[in-house]
Amino acid sequence: MRIKKPITTGSLIAIGLSIGSLFTEINAAETAFESKEPNKEEHKDNQHARHHPEKKMMEGMCGGNMRMDMKGMVMYENKDKLPKDCPEISEDITIEVKAGVKYAKQYPGTVFGFNEHQWQVKPCSRITVEFTNDDDIRHQWMIHGLPKYLYPKGMFHIEVNGPGKKTGTFIVPSSHFTYLVHCDIAQHMEKGMKAQLKVGNGRGDLPSIPGISAPKFADSFSTAK
Amino acid sequence: MRLYRQTLFIIISLLTPSISSAEFPTAPATEESFLGLVEPFCPKSVNPKWREKQQIEGVSIAPSPVCDPDNPYDIAAFVKGTNNISMATMMQTQLSPDTLIKTNDIDGDGDPDEIHIRLEVIELNGFSPDQKDPITTYNIAPGIQPGFWAFAPKSRGMSNESFASIKANPFLRLPSPSIRVEQGDKIIITLENSHYFPHSIHFHGVDHPFLKKNGEGNDGVPQTSNKLTMPGKTISYEMTPRQTGTMVYHCHVQAHTHILMGLIGMFIVEENKPDNWVQTFNIGASFVRHSSVAVQEKYSQEYDLQYQDIDRELHNLIQQGNDSRLLAKAYNREYNITERSPDYFILNGRSFPYTLRESLIVIKPDEKVKLRVFNAGEQMLSLHTHGFKPTVTHLDGVKLKPDAQIQRDVFTLGPAQRADLELYALNDGLNNMGAGIWTFHDHNEAGVTTDGIYPGGHISSVVFESYLGANGMPKLQGVDVSPFFTKEFYQKKYPIWNLSDENRLYGEIANTTAPDMKEKDKGSLNITQIAILIFQIVLLLATVLLIRKHIKTENAN
Repeated sequence: MRIKKPITTGSLIAIGLSIGSLFTEINAAETAFESKEPNKEEHKDNQHARHHPEKKMMEGMCGGNMRMDMKGMVMYENKDKLPKDCPEISEDITIEVKAGVKYAKQYPGTVFGFNEHQWQVKPCSRITVEFTNDDDIRHQWMIHGLPKYLYPKGMFHIEVNGPGKKTGTFIVPSSHFTYLVHCDIAQHMEKGMKAQLKVGNGRGDLPSIPGISAPKFADSFSTAK
Repeated sequence: MRLYRQTLFIIISLLTPSISSAEFPTAPATEESFLGLVEPFCPKSVNPKWREKQQIEGVSIAPSPVCDPDNPYDIAAFVKGTNNISMATMMQTQLSPDTLIKTNDIDGDGDPDEIHIRLEVIELNGFSPDQKDPITTYNIAPGIQPGFWAFAPKSRGMSNESFASIKANPFLRLPSPSIRVEQGDKIIITLENSHYFPHSIHFHGVDHPFLKKNGEGNDGVPQTSNKLTMPGKTISYEMTPRQTGTMVYHCHVQAHTHILMGLIGMFIVEENKPDNWVQTFNIGASFVRHSSVAVQEKYSQEYDLQYQDIDRELHNLIQQGNDSRLLAKAYNREYNITERSPDYFILNGRSFPYTLRESLIVIKPDEKVKLRVFNAGEQMLSLHTHGFKPTVTHLDGVKLKPDAQIQRDVFTLGPAQRADLELYALNDGLNNMGAGIWTFHDHNEAGVTTDGIYPGGHISSVVFESYLGANGMPKLQGVDVSPFFTKEFYQKKYPIWNLSDENRLYGEIANTTAPDMKEKDKGSLNITQIAILIFQIVLLLATVLLIRKHIKTENAN
């Protein structure tokens, strides 16, 4: 009987190495999934100072200053109270905002969107937001970080319940600042409904705004096959 | 043959450690273990007044003595409809004005018969591109946040508690709420798809026509009756159920993942009775604070118990990316349900010990309580009640004939099955064995663990009132439960029995270098380990070859 050609040491090592590299590949794939590294420095900006839980928002809503009907609501509107640091209203400005799934199309990978994701106004402007919802579900135009002595929880908020339009007005203070605007329905901000309002020169860009700034924790497309 | 024996001897001698007397090896010392932050049994955020018996908007709301009861203002809105309550009550809820419209007493028996319900789809513990941790958070147990999707009554305002918090508002949770309607009511259910994937509703076991009057599909199944309801779109389903019973509603889009992600709840059709204002939603299931007329005629209390099991691998997919294309691929092309194994087990959206805050059944002697048990998971459920032998009255919503209404102490339910049980606190040694804190749990033992850690899973208890202490805490007299209220216990960092173990028989071993096998074994072999592995394989193959060669030489000889 003919003896088969014995397996050489070299080919054995090759087999061993290929088994080894299999493990290495698994390892690399897992590392790719863990690519969300924390960045504590960046964590401090105003827009996610979400570490100190407050009481439920509805308590704030009982304080009045809210218009609500079947079509939606406008909360904490302010047409005439000047911020302390504003001697007068510098300008009256109207912004038309449209919201819906169709506005997400220009930013691949997002699902919800606004027609614009950034607005710039002069300090002490009086801003009227005409907010149109082109979807059949709820959407919000919600701004955070306004002075709390004028706006409960520092918020001004328009919510439109299905297709339609609501209009509301608020006055910004004099300091140059970048305010977060978003829709706070679960995952709407994350999936595209994030924007910023710059007063004066603003104070930099907030992260993860479609068309404007990179996310802090970006997707890893290398894992896509 | 000689060479063969020699080779074998060499291998054996290489593998066998040499026998020689060694000194007594001192085992490593025991390390002191410290508990992490112990959460209180009952969180301070709970409003104790919500537990009291009360009347709101003329709706009588039963007392709920557990730690974390349902918001009574929600109950009033769910009984009357959001169109029939005052603005003051509305402000105590987070409902939208059109969440639940109740009108038109068609049969003139004192209750509304046209009901329009609106549901949204919410995501819990999802991805955020702005922070490392998940957002709109919901804990099933200390520190445990699997990603979920759930149906929720349409709400208004923020999904997070506030701008300063990343916690989901308490309204948004698991399970998808139980829905109650009255037999013969004209019901419209509108799904407002507020989520980034398409969804639908199928009414499992509920009497509904395949088509609506206008010819549109009504069964919620993409393959047979309905187009997909895409993000931002809505769809309405219509029905006038003729039969009563404990039924189900669930998403039927990519049902193998969407149901398990949480888009499933109980749909209960109550008997038509005069002045029967049913509590349309039961948030978080569990105790029904305003039972229907028919249930009140036979029972003093009613509970919805929804059991689910969770494969962490599926639920964590939403936490690993943000791009809708990556997510669609992960859910529909990469996750393989045939390789599924569950890690977490929840009752009414929580695992032990949080089940004790919400899902205790509080009972008095001689009380008769109705339990609607629903297995919404993928595993079999063998529900065992200590101290009781309940009677099964209905299976899958259909009333059993008297002879078939049997008593057992283990009821087995497969996925999607329901059993209506009668829990009778008659101390006769059969129905009940007397007062106490009687635990009830799945007797598939995996079900009483959380990622393999016991006690966890969906353990809860029937507690007699005489055993219920302040803030809804049962008067426990077993071991100290503090460790169960820490993240560290479920992160496997705290030794078992530590608080009972004065002599540290089972404490943590100091300076241990033993790797955490489960976590590290999978992907992190280092170069040395790989080299050893290769060497071992080479050695093995070489030995086999040597033996084979030798045998052949011997044969040839």
